[in-house]
Amino acid sequence: MTPSTRADAAKRLPAPILQVKDLQTQFLTHDGIVKAVDGVTFDLYPGESLGIVGESGSGKSMTALSLLRLVPDPGKIVGGKVLFRDQDLMQISDEEIRDIRGRDIAMIFQDPQSSLNPVLQTGFQIAEAMLAHKKATKQQARQRTVELLKRVRIPAAESRVKDYPHQLSGGMRQRAMIAMGLANAPSILIADEPTTALDVTVQAQILELLADLNQELGTAIMMITHNMGVVAGLCTRVLVMYAGQIVEQGPVDQIFENPQHPYTWSLLKSIPRVDALRHERLRSIEGLAPDLLRPPKGCRFHPRCPFRVEKCLTDLPPLTEVKPDQLAACWVTMDRAKKEMGADQLLDIRPGAASGLEPGKIIP
Amino acid sequence: MAATAAAVVTRPIAPEQASLWSDAWRRLRRNRLALAGVIYLTLVVIVALVSAVWTPYSTFQVGVGIPYAAPNAHHLLGVDGLGRDTLSRLMAGAQISLIVGIGTQILVLAVGVPIGLAAGYFRGAFDQVVTFLINLFYGIPDLLVALILVFLLGPSLTNIIIAIAVTRWMDMARLVRGQTLSLREREFIEAARAAGAKPAKILFGHILPNALGPIIVQATFGVPAAILFEAFLSFLGLGVPPPTPTWGGMAAEGIVTIRISPAMVIAPSIALSLTLMAFNFLGDGLRDALDPRGRR
Amino acid sequence: MTAQAARADVPEPVGDRAKVLVRVENVVKHFPAGIGVSVKAVDGVTFEIRQGETLGLVGESGCGKSTLGRLVMQLIPVTSGKVFLDGVELTSLHGERLRQQRRQMQIIFQDPFASLDPRMTIGDIIAEPLVNFGVMRGRKLRDRVQELLRVVGLNPNFNNRYPHEFSGGQRQRIGIARALALNPKLIVCDEAISALDVSIQAQVVNLLEDLQREFNLTYLFIAHDLSVVRHISDRVMVMYLGKIVEIANSTETYTNPKHPYTKALLSAIPLPDPKLQRGRRLVELSGEIPSPINPPSGCRFHTRCPIARVPTPCAEVEPPLEEKLRGHFAACHFSNEV
Repeated sequence: MTPSTRADAAKRLPAPILQVKDLQTQFLTHDGIVKAVDGVTFDLYPGESLGIVGESGSGKSMTALSLLRLVPDPGKIVGGKVLFRDQDLMQISDEEIRDIRGRDIAMIFQDPQSSLNPVLQTGFQIAEAMLAHKKATKQQARQRTVELLKRVRIPAAESRVKDYPHQLSGGMRQRAMIAMGLANAPSILIADEPTTALDVTVQAQILELLADLNQELGTAIMMITHNMGVVAGLCTRVLVMYAGQIVEQGPVDQIFENPQHPYTWSLLKSIPRVDALRHERLRSIEGLAPDLLRPPKGCRFHPRCPFRVEKCLTDLPPLTEVKPDQLAACWVTMDRAKKEMGADQLLDIRPGAASGLEPGKIIP
Repeated sequence: MAATAAAVVTRPIAPEQASLWSDAWRRLRRNRLALAGVIYLTLVVIVALVSAVWTPYSTFQVGVGIPYAAPNAHHLLGVDGLGRDTLSRLMAGAQISLIVGIGTQILVLAVGVPIGLAAGYFRGAFDQVVTFLINLFYGIPDLLVALILVFLLGPSLTNIIIAIAVTRWMDMARLVRGQTLSLREREFIEAARAAGAKPAKILFGHILPNALGPIIVQATFGVPAAILFEAFLSFLGLGVPPPTPTWGGMAAEGIVTIRISPAMVIAPSIALSLTLMAFNFLGDGLRDALDPRGRR
Repeated sequence: MTAQAARADVPEPVGDRAKVLVRVENVVKHFPAGIGVSVKAVDGVTFEIRQGETLGLVGESGCGKSTLGRLVMQLIPVTSGKVFLDGVELTSLHGERLRQQRRQMQIIFQDPFASLDPRMTIGDIIAEPLVNFGVMRGRKLRDRVQELLRVVGLNPNFNNRYPHEFSGGQRQRIGIARALALNPKLIVCDEAISALDVSIQAQVVNLLEDLQREFNLTYLFIAHDLSVVRHISDRVMVMYLGKIVEIANSTETYTNPKHPYTKALLSAIPLPDPKLQRGRRLVELSGEIPSPINPPSGCRFHTRCPIARVPTPCAEVEPPLEEKLRGHFAACHFSNEV
């Protein structure tokens, strides 16, 4: 972020509740180092709902796990700061971070089935979450559990408290997980693909619930998802990740209406839509996501980018302000691509097709 | 056609093509204990082969040394009660142990794999009979079955291998049946059926190759179990009959005179223990190397 | 189910004179789930697929769509009912005679990681159907495999690599190449792109469309949401708890749904457009899909339906699948109110 952006942001927004600076998480495999998160910097503001979107391997989930130091083996956080309430979460002791997990920053996952212990009653597990942080007495915890289950709109909450996880449906289990996440009234809720395993009608219910909770409780939500539609419905700001890096970030309305990074632009065009015309051809992104063991030089998207220019092959573009509040990491940006390369009329989707730089060729 | 445009942009993902087996071998080599096991077992095999043509002294000839002599320059591991060279007998014993261990597993594989495959794939009445037999054999103590068989067939190397295999085939049959049951529900088996594969092709072309990893691991663990069982039978005097040297038999002879000549017990015991450990380390290493979940 | 046996009228695509390739008549599939209990996965379903068309089949988990796909392929036997492929009754065939029919129909699976045998090279995987039917061998077989790889956009020299060396999208292309090998008439795509990333989904959808045009393929395209189906289907069929609730041509389904469930499914899909998305009203469906072991009486959707009149008629009388508009069939007592 440039100094001027931060000054502007400070005028409009309260101080960030979470500041992530140059976060780097790597996996040491016997074939080499995989830079899963490669210099990610962003702020989260109190009460906002921030979307982090990307495809598999983009590093979005690993970013979320890194914030709470939950990176699985053989991954390691090798650099960067995560500032939360004047402390760097990367520096504090294991015990201190354990205290913060669940109490101040809660996390819910894609698969509630594997996050809940199958042999314990659901209500008991939610109460445990409170007792673990000594936030309540047993009596209070039990009472609040019922309240929480009502809050996440589980019908007949009083009797559901005693249900085991397998007795709940997928949607109910995810609601119970959200209740558990909210048990200690955290200031941040990180949701890692919470609706991916659910049916669309149930997904819609859960998203509505999350939006309401965000409004009512003022809990900041960090929504990790691959689904642009989910971001459009729930979030106010969005980060787009590609190959371990943030390629674009800004207010949701602005990014969806006028994306400046070719990846964001292409991704939005490749999404099948229910309001599309019949047999309308989808605009795919040619090629594959890069192998993070051997990421391409320069901009990581250039092997798939129709608008690449010479500079993209050699220099990594920094994340810079391209519009008020909107940052993109691109040497070209879509404004120029539309003006000079006719991006809007472009039918050819091959890399380099619009710029004429070795069309169709993979240049790693 | 647009598909040809896509052809341009696909690229090789791996620098070299690696089959699953070479991948497994690479990972096995990184496991030091397993590698030590492989090296030790290679030595045992060499010793066993060499012993067939040459040993320091004759294996059977009595009185080559002073009975109960402690290890010395002429007899590195001492001499037994009949004046036979212990090192020579130990070397020859390696042969018997390997023959028993591997022979048993070959029988177990020959019986257990087809039965398990058929029971798991065809299910129904055949499976019920097999499951009943497996449980029946598990219900009777191994030792009893082996003793009765050895008694009925007479104590010879072949009969002992048969007797041990009879007490061990269920492990393999049960494993293969379980593997088959779970593999037959996998999507690629359904894909094979959809592609018009006949049952034989599905069983031997798809299910068996995919079950091979666990089968190899099981067989590897089965070898030391069989060797130990044979040693135990020999120890009880029901193993391969004397004068053929077996590690179990040698330990049994030595135990009586352990105070006079400890080497007679210690040498075969260490040889036996190291061999059992080597097979177990190898088995563990194979399990990690062949388990697809372990693949990055 | 016998209650539906009387229903003979099969929905017809508007203005479509193409010949019928697949005909499914009153197909029922119950899976035993304990003593005297069964999962009614598919419960009396009748429809046709015409040569060269793409029929989209949509529904949420547990609606029986994947089971129906496997019944059409006869990978699992029907409990009752008939399936015809090109005039041949598949449901009366067994063993070798059924196997011979498999040349005409192929399937592409959802999970590109589970549907390829990990111990086989992709060349062998793609060659397998050709070998199984003894169509060709040796040099000719190798050439054909390389040609198929090229057709699906993969490097033809990849044929001796193993599946684990490929990404999800590439594996799905391998699955498509295998399905194409025998020049089948029908391909069932069972959630063929659901497991793929968005940018890769688009590649595969476009590939499937190109192949359809080139090889005159007929698709039964199964998906759990309506968005992808929109781009590929000529007609769309919506299932709920083992029953068809609506069939219509694709434009009709999306602009003028005649069943409240279709409408709810449409509104539940988040649009990748924040302004539109905020302005949309979610047709809130209460609860989740009931168990197919004990489906609700009458209309199976009445427990979640926003316009249901309970108890009568919705909880008592099962609505038949009727032609509400020309070529537009729906099973709802109050389809005018949707």
